[in-house]
Order: sequence, then structure tokens, then C-alpha cells
Amino acid sequence: MNYPDGIIVALTILGLVGIGIYAIIVSRNLIKIVVGMQIMVKGVLLAFVLAGRVSGNIGLGQSLALTVIVVDTIVAVVALALTVQVHKRFGSLDPQALTTLRR
Amino acid sequence: MPNWLLLLPIGVPWLGCIGVWMVGDRRPKFQHSLAVFFSVLSAGAGLMLIPYSTQRLTLMLPLGGVFDDFRLATDGLGVFLAVVATVIGSLAVIFSVDYMHGEHSLGRYYAFVLFFIGSMVGLVLTTSLLWMFVFWELTALCSYALIAFHNDDPKAVRGGIKALIMTQFGGLGLLFGALLLYTYTGSYEINSFLSNPGVLPASVLNWMAFGFLIAAAAKSAQFPFQTWLPDAMEAPTPISALIHAATMVNAGVYLLARFYPAFEAVPGWKLAVMIVGMLSALLAALMALVAFDLKRVLAYSTVSQLGFMVYAVGAGGVFASQFHLMSHSVFKALLFLGAGAVIHALGTRDMREMGGLGKRMPFTRTVFILGALALAGLPIFNGFWSKELILEIGLGHGNPSWIAALMILSAGLTAAYTLRMVILVFYGQARRDHHVHDAGNAMKTALFPLAVGSLSTWLLLGPFYQALKTSLPFHKFEFDETWLHMAESVHSTIGMTLEVGLEVLRQPFTYIVLLVVILGGVSWLGRKRLSVLIATFKGVEQAAQSAFGFDAINDAIVKSVQKTGEALRVTQTGYLAWNVLAVLLGWLVVLILTLLGRIG
Repeated sequence: MNYPDGIIVALTILGLVGIGIYAIIVSRNLIKIVVGMQIMVKGVLLAFVLAGRVSGNIGLGQSLALTVIVVDTIVAVVALALTVQVHKRFGSLDPQALTTLRR
Repeated sequence: MPNWLLLLPIGVPWLGCIGVWMVGDRRPKFQHSLAVFFSVLSAGAGLMLIPYSTQRLTLMLPLGGVFDDFRLATDGLGVFLAVVATVIGSLAVIFSVDYMHGEHSLGRYYAFVLFFIGSMVGLVLTTSLLWMFVFWELTALCSYALIAFHNDDPKAVRGGIKALIMTQFGGLGLLFGALLLYTYTGSYEINSFLSNPGVLPASVLNWMAFGFLIAAAAKSAQFPFQTWLPDAMEAPTPISALIHAATMVNAGVYLLARFYPAFEAVPGWKLAVMIVGMLSALLAALMALVAFDLKRVLAYSTVSQLGFMVYAVGAGGVFASQFHLMSHSVFKALLFLGAGAVIHALGTRDMREMGGLGKRMPFTRTVFILGALALAGLPIFNGFWSKELILEIGLGHGNPSWIAALMILSAGLTAAYTLRMVILVFYGQARRDHHVHDAGNAMKTALFPLAVGSLSTWLLLGPFYQALKTSLPFHKFEFDETWLHMAESVHSTIGMTLEVGLEVLRQPFTYIVLLVVILGGVSWLGRKRLSVLIATFKGVEQAAQSAFGFDAINDAIVKSVQKTGEALRVTQTGYLAWNVLAVLLGWLVVLILTLLGRIG
């Protein structure tokens, strides 16, 4: 991987993370938020691999990426399970409808 | 070197704290005895440190990094205050057995008292400025929790929060000082700073000096922060005796004395310290003269006496201030505990409802009068010797004489309000019919040693001076030439006490002060004759009763915090999207700052 390739990967990372954050901020549907989070995490994965490559610790970057994949899967599973529960209790997937604290 | 000994006076009370807490409130008798056991044990541990007051015993638990190593070391100043904290702490706990009999939540009470004793010892023994800050805040926390002990009483809760707010000023000053020191030297070590205060640039040293003065003033309830101490009197009386008279409020004076060698040369600092002390001593004495709540009178008198100590540090009399600290801890703890016995018997703190109690509480009356005579500063009692030393330092040695004159006036006022208090409580006609009993056995056990101490602690002058002299290499003490000469000529530290005592008695100045003190007492007795003079000071009396308006500081802080909170409520929308955006923006700020740091 030479230098311009690195730039392309970096731009991809920025794009993925940006799309993920955008989805989390604007969407009003918990499932879409989980999907946005997944997209963001994929960008982070790529960032780990790139960082490992640039700093010369390829093994470290890859193993961290693998860890993140495992953790991320668990997060997705738990988040989706909670989403199902939320829909059962509140009858809605809108996170703003979840607030019981507000007046 | 048995340097783990140093951990005992901190560890034993903390262990007791956990123990009493675990016992639970269903077994109050066991709680009482357990608390007494652990406090007496910690007093023993404190007394065991006395031999090490002249030689340095150090202990270091490495923690590393910015949190600094946990370092303890003994020297004359630290050991002396540790002994005061543990011994008076154990007496206060013993007194509590009678005083708190039948109260609920005893576990909370004793746990915080024991936790306080340990924290106070840590505060005075540590040589790391950061850990000093940590212990400083722990004592403030205990003070808050114990003032608000009767947490179903809104007055007590308000008093506790007020004390917490005011003393936070001090904590902040100390924290900034610690961080400044770390920025410039990379260590929090107090002694290396004292040996060479020049490592800090002059401007930074100035900031630190005045920051520490504010810290000390807030902790020791000095002008203009003196208002929290009278409101702290909602605490149970043993707490007032221990925390708000004998130990915690002395931490400010201790701080000034400890850092005196570093700040001595800062321009204007000594004068500022003297003026703060003088104003506190004078204003608080006036307020004590017009208050009717027995404990508030004692609280004002504590502020006033702490003013004497602060003034002494500013005047260059570090030893005189610490010596008065010792006398004051003993006689003020005695007065507070005596007042506690009266309040416990009567169920009121208003002196207008007392009177004529002397015949029915003979033991309490006797010890209370002993304490009162020491407070007024009459000869033989320990308060006389230490106050004389302070005033003697203040008059000569290039200190402004108008401040000294006002201090002597405060000494006269002290005698007046002391006499007023004793007469209102113990003499005259009973103004209300109470069913009264004298102090119980536990109370007597606590009062008796203190009464003996009020008569005798001044005998320790010689050993105490020698201990400070040998263990504090960076301090320069007053009376050096004359006193060391005496010490050499008599070859013993007790002999030195007597020599110094004779020297004090030879000074004509001593008799002037004594005359003022007696005049102060007489002027209270003859107040009817002086009514014309008093009428002209009516305005002062009213101002004194309303605490000279310094409550405004506390009110302003409370109001501004509430307003800021209301204003910031807008930001708490509870919407996920906004929160994520805020997280993102915060992350960007951190990123930009990091990048700027890289470039710069």
C-alpha cells in the first residue's frame, strides 16, 4: 500500500464515520440508529487497520480490529434486543418518546 | 525504624469508623463502647509519636505519577497537632457517651467522628501538598456531615451547607497552590519547596501566598469568611468542641505556620495576615459581647482567638501562634464540653433562660470557670502565657503598633464577654425553673483532664519550643537569641519554661495587658454606670448582632449557583440527537487542542 492508497482509506474512514454519526443524530428510529452505529464502527475498524499499517504494528492493529468486531457484534445484539423491548412497552421506536422524566 | 507507626493514628480511627458503622444502630451500647475503644486507641497511637517529634520518621507508599506518592513524615509541628487531634478527639468521644445517650443514628455519628480524627492526623502529617489537599477536603466533608447531623432540622442542614460552601474557597486555593507547585517543580513535596521557594517566579509566589491566606481564612473562619462558624453550632456539642474549636479550624493557622518560611518575603503578605487576624479578633469579640446563644458566644470567641493566632503568624511569631493554638485547643474544648453539659441538662442554648446554675451543677461550674479564666488570659492559666507571647511579638519586632493596640483592646473585650457568659449562666437568679442534674460520669471523665490541662499545658513551653526548633529547619523562630541562651544556661527544657515564664513576668508590658484584661472584666460589671458610653455604641451593637453583613457573601454564592443552574437547565433537553452532537463537539474541541499542543 503506497501513500495515495492510504489517503483513499483515510477518506473512506471519514466517510463511514460521518455517515454513521449523521444517521445517529438525525434518525428518529432506534433500528436506524443501531444501523448508523454499525456503519460508524466499520469506519473505526478500518482506522485501526490503517493505523497499524502506518505505525508498523500491523499485528496490533489487526488484533484490535478483531476485538472491536466481537464487541461490536455484542453491542448490536443487545441494542436490537432492547429495541424490541422498547417497542413492546412504549409502542414506538422514537427515542424521544422514551422520556418519562420530562414534564 | 518502625515507620509503620505513622499509619496507626490514621488507620486506627478509620478502622473504628468502619467497625462502628458495621455494628448497626440496633446495638447502641456496643457502638458507644466500640467508639470509645477505638478513639482511646488512636489517642495512644498519637501519643506514641511524641518521641519522634524531634527526629524525622518518614513513610512513603509509592503511587507514582501525578497523584504523587503517599508520604508521611513527623516533625514538631505535625506531631503536636496529631496529638491534639487524637487526644481531644478521644475526650470528645467519651463525652458523647453521655451527651448522645438515646439519640438515633449513632453509627453515622461515631463513624464520621472517627473518620474525622484520622483525616485530621493525615492532614498534619503528610508532606505532599496534593495529599494535604485531599485530607483537607476530607475534614471539610466530615465537618459538613456532622453539622448537619440532625438532618431533619432545616437550620442544621443550612448551617452544614454554608460551612461546606465557605470552606470550599479554602480548598480551591490550596488545590491551585498545589497545581502551581507541580507545574513549576514537577513535585508536590512541601519541604523541598520550603527549602528553596525561589524555584517559583516571584509573581507566582505572590499568587500562591495570597491564595493560601484565603484558604487559611476560609478554613479558620477568619475575616471575611467568619460567618460559617457560628452557624456551625447546630452540630452536637462534642462536635463543636472537637472540630470547630480544637482541631479542624486550626488547620488554617497550621497552613500559614507551615508555609511561613516561603511566604515571609512576599511583599505585603505579613501585613495582610496581621490585618486579617486583627479584624477577626476584634469583630468577633464584639459579636461575642452581644450574642445570647451560649454556643454562639463560644463560636465567636473561637473566631476571635484564631484571629490572635493568625495575627501572631503575620507578626513573625510562628511559635507564639502554635503555642496559643495548644492552649486554645485545651481550654476551648473544655469550655465547649462544659457548655455541652449545661445544654444537655437544660435543653436550651439561650443564656437568658439560664442563670443560677452554679449551685446545682458545681462540678461543671468549677471546670467551666477554669476554662473561662484561661480564655480571659489571667495568670497561671495556659491562655495567659500564650496570649502574652503573641502580644509581646506584636508590639516590637518592627510590627505596626496600631494593630498591636487593637489586639490588646480585643484581649480586654475577651475578658468582658467571658465574664458576661459566666455570670449569665452560673450566677444570679434562675430565670426559669429547670429540672437540672450535674454532668454524668462520662462527661466528668472528659472534662477533668481538660481542666487540668488548662492549668498546666504551659509547662510544656520548653520541650515544645525545642521540638519545633530542631525539627523545622526552614523556620526562623522569634526570641531565638534570648531563649536559646536561657536553654543553654539551665540545661533542661522544663527549666527553660520557668526561665521564659520569669522573663514574661519581668516585662512591664505584661502588666499593661493584664490591666486592660481586668479593665475589660470590670467594665462589664460596671456597665450600668457606663450606660452613656454604651449608648453611643448602639450602632456597633446592632451591626454586631447582624454579623456585620458578611452573610451577604454566602447568600450571593447560593443565589448565583441557583441562577446558573436554572440557566443551564435549557441544555438538558433529554434528546438523544442533541447529546450525541454535544459529545461530538466536545471531541472536536479536544482534538483541536491536542493538535494545537503538537504544533506549539
